[in-house]
Amino acid sequence: MLGREVRLAAPPDRIVSLVPSATELIFALGAEERLVGVTDFCDHPPAARRKPSVGGMVSPSLEAIVTLRPDVVIATDQGNREETFVQLGRVGIPVYLVHAGSVAMMMDVIGRLGALTGRPGSVAPLVERLRARIAAIAGAVSGRRRPRVLYVLWPEPLLVPGRSAIVTELIALAGGDSITAGEAGDYPRYSIEAAVARAPEVIVLARHGGTTGPIARDRWDRLANLPAVRAGRVHSVDGSVLHRYGPRIVDGLEQLARVIHPEAFR
Amino acid sequence: MTPLAEVRGVHFSYPAPERRRPAPFALSDVTFDVASGEILGVIGPNSAGKTTLIRLLTKVVEPARGEIRLGGRPLARLTRWELAREVAVVPQELPHALPFSVEQLVLMGRYPHAPRRFFETAGDVEVARDAMAATGVLHLAGAPLDGLGGGERQRVVLARALAQEPRLLILDEPTAHLDLRYQVECVALLRHLNRERATTIVLVSHDLNLAAELCDRVLLLADGSVARLGSPADVLDEATLARVYGCAVAVDRAPSGRPRVQLVWPGAAPRPGKEVADPRSR
Amino acid sequence: MTHGRRLAVVLAALGAGLLALGAAALFLGSARLTPGAVLAVLTGHAPADSTERVVVLSLRLPRIAAAAVAGGALAVAGVGFQALTRNPLAEPSVLGVSSGAAFGVVVAQLLGGGSGVGDSVRLALFGFGGAVVAGGAVYLIASAHGGLPIQTLLLAGVIVGIFFASATTVLTSLVDIDRLGGIVHWLLGNVSPVPPASLALFAALAGVGFWLIVGQARRLNVLALGEEAALQLGVSAERLKARIFVGAALLTATVVAFAGPIGFVGLVVPHVLRLVLGPDNRLLVPAALLAGGAFLLAADTLARNVVAPAELSVGVITSFCGAPVFVYLLRTRTRSPL
Repeated sequence: MLGREVRLAAPPDRIVSLVPSATELIFALGAEERLVGVTDFCDHPPAARRKPSVGGMVSPSLEAIVTLRPDVVIATDQGNREETFVQLGRVGIPVYLVHAGSVAMMMDVIGRLGALTGRPGSVAPLVERLRARIAAIAGAVSGRRRPRVLYVLWPEPLLVPGRSAIVTELIALAGGDSITAGEAGDYPRYSIEAAVARAPEVIVLARHGGTTGPIARDRWDRLANLPAVRAGRVHSVDGSVLHRYGPRIVDGLEQLARVIHPEAFR
Repeated sequence: MTPLAEVRGVHFSYPAPERRRPAPFALSDVTFDVASGEILGVIGPNSAGKTTLIRLLTKVVEPARGEIRLGGRPLARLTRWELAREVAVVPQELPHALPFSVEQLVLMGRYPHAPRRFFETAGDVEVARDAMAATGVLHLAGAPLDGLGGGERQRVVLARALAQEPRLLILDEPTAHLDLRYQVECVALLRHLNRERATTIVLVSHDLNLAAELCDRVLLLADGSVARLGSPADVLDEATLARVYGCAVAVDRAPSGRPRVQLVWPGAAPRPGKEVADPRSR
Repeated sequence: MTHGRRLAVVLAALGAGLLALGAAALFLGSARLTPGAVLAVLTGHAPADSTERVVVLSLRLPRIAAAAVAGGALAVAGVGFQALTRNPLAEPSVLGVSSGAAFGVVVAQLLGGGSGVGDSVRLALFGFGGAVVAGGAVYLIASAHGGLPIQTLLLAGVIVGIFFASATTVLTSLVDIDRLGGIVHWLLGNVSPVPPASLALFAALAGVGFWLIVGQARRLNVLALGEEAALQLGVSAERLKARIFVGAALLTATVVAFAGPIGFVGLVVPHVLRLVLGPDNRLLVPAALLAGGAFLLAADTLARNVVAPAELSVGVITSFCGAPVFVYLLRTRTRSPL
């Protein structure tokens, strides 16, 4: 992936994951016994919290990683620093990069992780399960008019999902039309004015650990002219299931669909 | 005998000022010699050019026109440290709160003699101690500069200048901040240096009587040019002084035989038998 | 005691202290190796690809060396700026030179990646450019009306520092969110295990900066008397100032290129050294090289152990130490020059 070649003689027995999404997927593939180290942010499933932590995503402790004697480290360019990969490379630890900006890429990651962890057999069932759920949700909202949706990753500065963010595709699958779908990048900054100019009919506020609920709503409620506000369609969703590409992403998709097309789920 | 220093036709002005600053000062067509072994006084009103002259003699600035020579060699051809071996300056004041000790300061005077050395030699230390002894501050060698009084600071700076082993010593207002007692000591010291060590001295001062007492010749600067040059008796005459300084003065004789200048205070009654020169009456 | 001998004694003591600290730091780290294991590595008894060997020789040792070089460079830059401005509060971060260098390095990072020796040279060059521009700006602002009054100098330093910090923020806001964490982390100042070739380059650049300053130590003493007096004693003040400035800017830029902007080392270390050794720059400059190394090494060892396995940025620790020292100096020395 991403042009980096990693050669391993055999499926690695000891894996350190610096990517919470990858951690969740490894558990979902049933390969968690190979996982010897995770980050402080790898909190799902609960069993992941019991694995040894090597620190944060931005500056994990190199010594802690090295001491765990991993055969490979799974990392991402969406949250880890390049310096970390370089340093690990220097001490001879292979780094495998994952990246997923779309559902298709996520399925690809699942396949690769399955191969990497020696559990290729678990890939197909997991992928099938996820696809079935996605199809069910997409089916429930198909044929309906797509409202204009503004997804707020972070209110201040205003960060929204762009072309390469998986959330953009999820909004489309949930039957919405993200007003920022054409913006370049993963989560670019956006001005409130531009957002208002596109008259979103639904505003989705992402919660990151439960603190952004009431406070963020205030600002949007003040913009009484927005169709979304007039119709009272300002909602908050659990961001942790939407910004990661783990198995819970289908729960995130369902949350989005319920918010965008509540009438389809009565 | 070649003069120690020759100033020939020197013109100088400071760079153009910003709009709100006063007009730049200029020295024009200044020519004089400093004879070897003499004590030359430089007097004149403020901004007559006295400090500028010191700067020119020490190559802090360079003349726009004209030339200055030291021992026959043009200043332009001497490097800074070559010049510093011959010419030492005792400035009016030391910067405040210098963290050095007396000896450390005096040793800085040895820099021009071996500018590439990192540390001073034992020989340097000896010269410095000699200089401190000559100015009577040897007992203060280890003391921090901070705690010293005005007279002592003056003598320390003089010691530093002497440590340079210069042929020409320039003093800028040496008695300006000194108590009377130290003024007298200063004069004695300078005389001693001039006689015992044959040091040529150029003394810039406000104090006309100091110049009269101490100097062999006096240079009177006014408005950037030489008004008079000659013995104290020649230069310090009432008409000239009244014209240059713009106030009435009385000149008589001090007990030593040298001229003595006194100001004529407004409203004072003239002393019986003494005629006062009034610039308006000539 | 003669000058030369005093210097030798001081350097021997500081050198021994630095080595001892370095040796101690080898035993500390989040991998929690036993002293025996560390000793085994150092005496060559550990197996060739054991984790102990990797941790001690590839992670801890290079990081310790980098911290020592960075600390020494920053302390010497501090002494240089202080002599240049005749002011004990002058130092790369206070004068905004560090921020200028950081801006330069961030520009270089955004223009292209890589971490080989050639890339490090490029980063250092850009950093040097930023440092020179910042330092020049501070000088021009502060000397606008003649002299370098302390209050104006500090203000100019703060302003220039803010300007470049803002410019850097503009750049970071253009970077997408994934790289943001990395850049913010870098801006706090961190020592990382620098591999041998880059470390040699780091030491060489720092060595050049040190050499530019140490040779002028005697002249810097004379400069303390004021520029006119220095000229009259035979010191070419303008040339000296230019050389010191280039040396100090180079030292600052080099450290920023390899470790990000770390502040206050150049303030704390020279201050303490002056209390012990006096004002003679011939002692201060070489001593700063060793004492600065020891200081930053201690701070970095703390940074990587105090909340293990997470790590603090060493710049955070130096700021916590440096701010009180700065306030103290401001209160006691504002009226007097160096």
